[in-house]
Amino acid sequence: MASKEEVFLEKVSSKFEVEGKIQRERRIWLSTDKVNLIPLCTWLKGEGFIHLSALSVTDWLEEGKYEVTYHLWSYEDRILVTVKTKIDRENPVIDSVVSLWDANAQAHEREMHELFGIKFEGNPNLTPLFLENWEGPPPFRKDFNWREYVKEKYYHKDDDTERVYYD
Amino acid sequence: MIDQMESAAKGSDFDLYFGPAHSGSGNFGVKLKINGEQVVSAVSDPGYLHRGFEKLMEYRVPIQNAVISDRLCVLEALNWNLLHAEAVDELMGIDIPERAKYIRVIVAELSRIQSHIIWFGVLSIGIGFDTGFKLAFGYRDYILDLFEMITGGRVYPTGYICPGGVRRDLPDGAEEKILQVLDKIEEMIDLEELENPVFKARLKGLAVLTLYDAIRLGATGPVIRASGMKTDVRKDEPYEVYDRFDFEIPVRYEGDAYARFLIGVEEMKQSIKIIKQALRDLPDGPVIDKKLKKPRPKGKIPKGEVYVRNEVSRGEGAFYMISDGSGMPYRCKIRGPSFLHMIPVLESLLKGVQIADVPAVYWSLNICPADLDR
Repeated sequence: MASKEEVFLEKVSSKFEVEGKIQRERRIWLSTDKVNLIPLCTWLKGEGFIHLSALSVTDWLEEGKYEVTYHLWSYEDRILVTVKTKIDRENPVIDSVVSLWDANAQAHEREMHELFGIKFEGNPNLTPLFLENWEGPPPFRKDFNWREYVKEKYYHKDDDTERVYYD
Repeated sequence: MIDQMESAAKGSDFDLYFGPAHSGSGNFGVKLKINGEQVVSAVSDPGYLHRGFEKLMEYRVPIQNAVISDRLCVLEALNWNLLHAEAVDELMGIDIPERAKYIRVIVAELSRIQSHIIWFGVLSIGIGFDTGFKLAFGYRDYILDLFEMITGGRVYPTGYICPGGVRRDLPDGAEEKILQVLDKIEEMIDLEELENPVFKARLKGLAVLTLYDAIRLGATGPVIRASGMKTDVRKDEPYEVYDRFDFEIPVRYEGDAYARFLIGVEEMKQSIKIIKQALRDLPDGPVIDKKLKKPRPKGKIPKGEVYVRNEVSRGEGAFYMISDGSGMPYRCKIRGPSFLHMIPVLESLLKGVQIADVPAVYWSLNICPADLDR
């Protein structure tokens, strides 16, 4: 008999263009194109994935892409599905999922906007959460060298007590 | 000031900052708009504890990250320790020794109990019941003594639960001592229940979270269980050896602050039950995987990605860890339950309550600014 993960994967593959993989019990990973994201998420929510466990972004610097990941949990099936989609790193724009997961998605997208600089189109409030008066680039990008930034911004070469950071 | 008070008396709007320097708020602020005595709207103001742990972990090896993971939440360091260790274990494909699994469960449940005791303490403070606070912190110390004996640290275990198992075995006589402490905790729970009238008067019917809203706003753990959803990661997807123990998931349907308080009390009893079973079944053997017996700072983690979920005392905690084959994680996303409890849930629950009830609502959610800000 096919496991519930296999049944689910077959069902989703027949409806959408996705690359799916079962990692282990209760873990399914789906990669999809940016255009399929909203239809796929809408369908998933209808299938019982009502809990957005987390929304994360990975910066693949060498590839020049951001990967946005949605970790969805179904209370009924007890499966965690991760939907991954890649977007351009230079012009990071993606449709918001606020219409599906409401305030939950809103808060997560707000955080990711602050840390990676991704624009979520349709999110009503993307004001910074953590950093006050931040002027540097989005801090979680891989090419942001925080050691250099702190040195330049907060330490002075001419100060005797701080010169040690430059040696 | 006097102008403000006069206009407040007339029932016009003014702003009130709850925190971050408020004694009852932790390092976290809420900007409240008040009309007369009533909160019109609330906006969360996090960030006072943002240390960028997710980024820091990208520059460190697991043995160092285990120590960072303690600091994810001061009040339940061992639960976060466990979560980090599980993520690395799964990436490396290690099946840890049986005895280590049992010890992990025992210390994680002890940590859950002391975190719930703090919850009871700060909730008491939130409603002006000082005795509860002193009671709670007095009894919590028994568990901290246990932590000192087992891990070496009272609050921060400095990576006691490390990838591959636990750092060292339980010391001699630890089993009896744990049982003695559990007796003490049971004594405290009885006292807590005696004090129920105070809690009933202040918390009943306060800040009701419906199940629909709980799902919509992403509540997890005790908060969603108080709103009528029977869910617990320990049962939904058992990790370590939780599937071998007999325990209940407490559920209530009222969704108010009092229901959340009762869930907390009930969960402590269940945790005591789990620890007693774990101590009874505790097998002999090594406590750390042979390969990792000596921590190697330059060890490699195989390429891959994992999403590990745990039931920490506040709700669902998770680690999304990606490894690119070097010794350090390429990306670490940490999902803290307080992130959603303190932003959407708190903002929606505070609407319409009286000023005096703000701390009570705030603490009834069992929140921790540290795992929100990370």
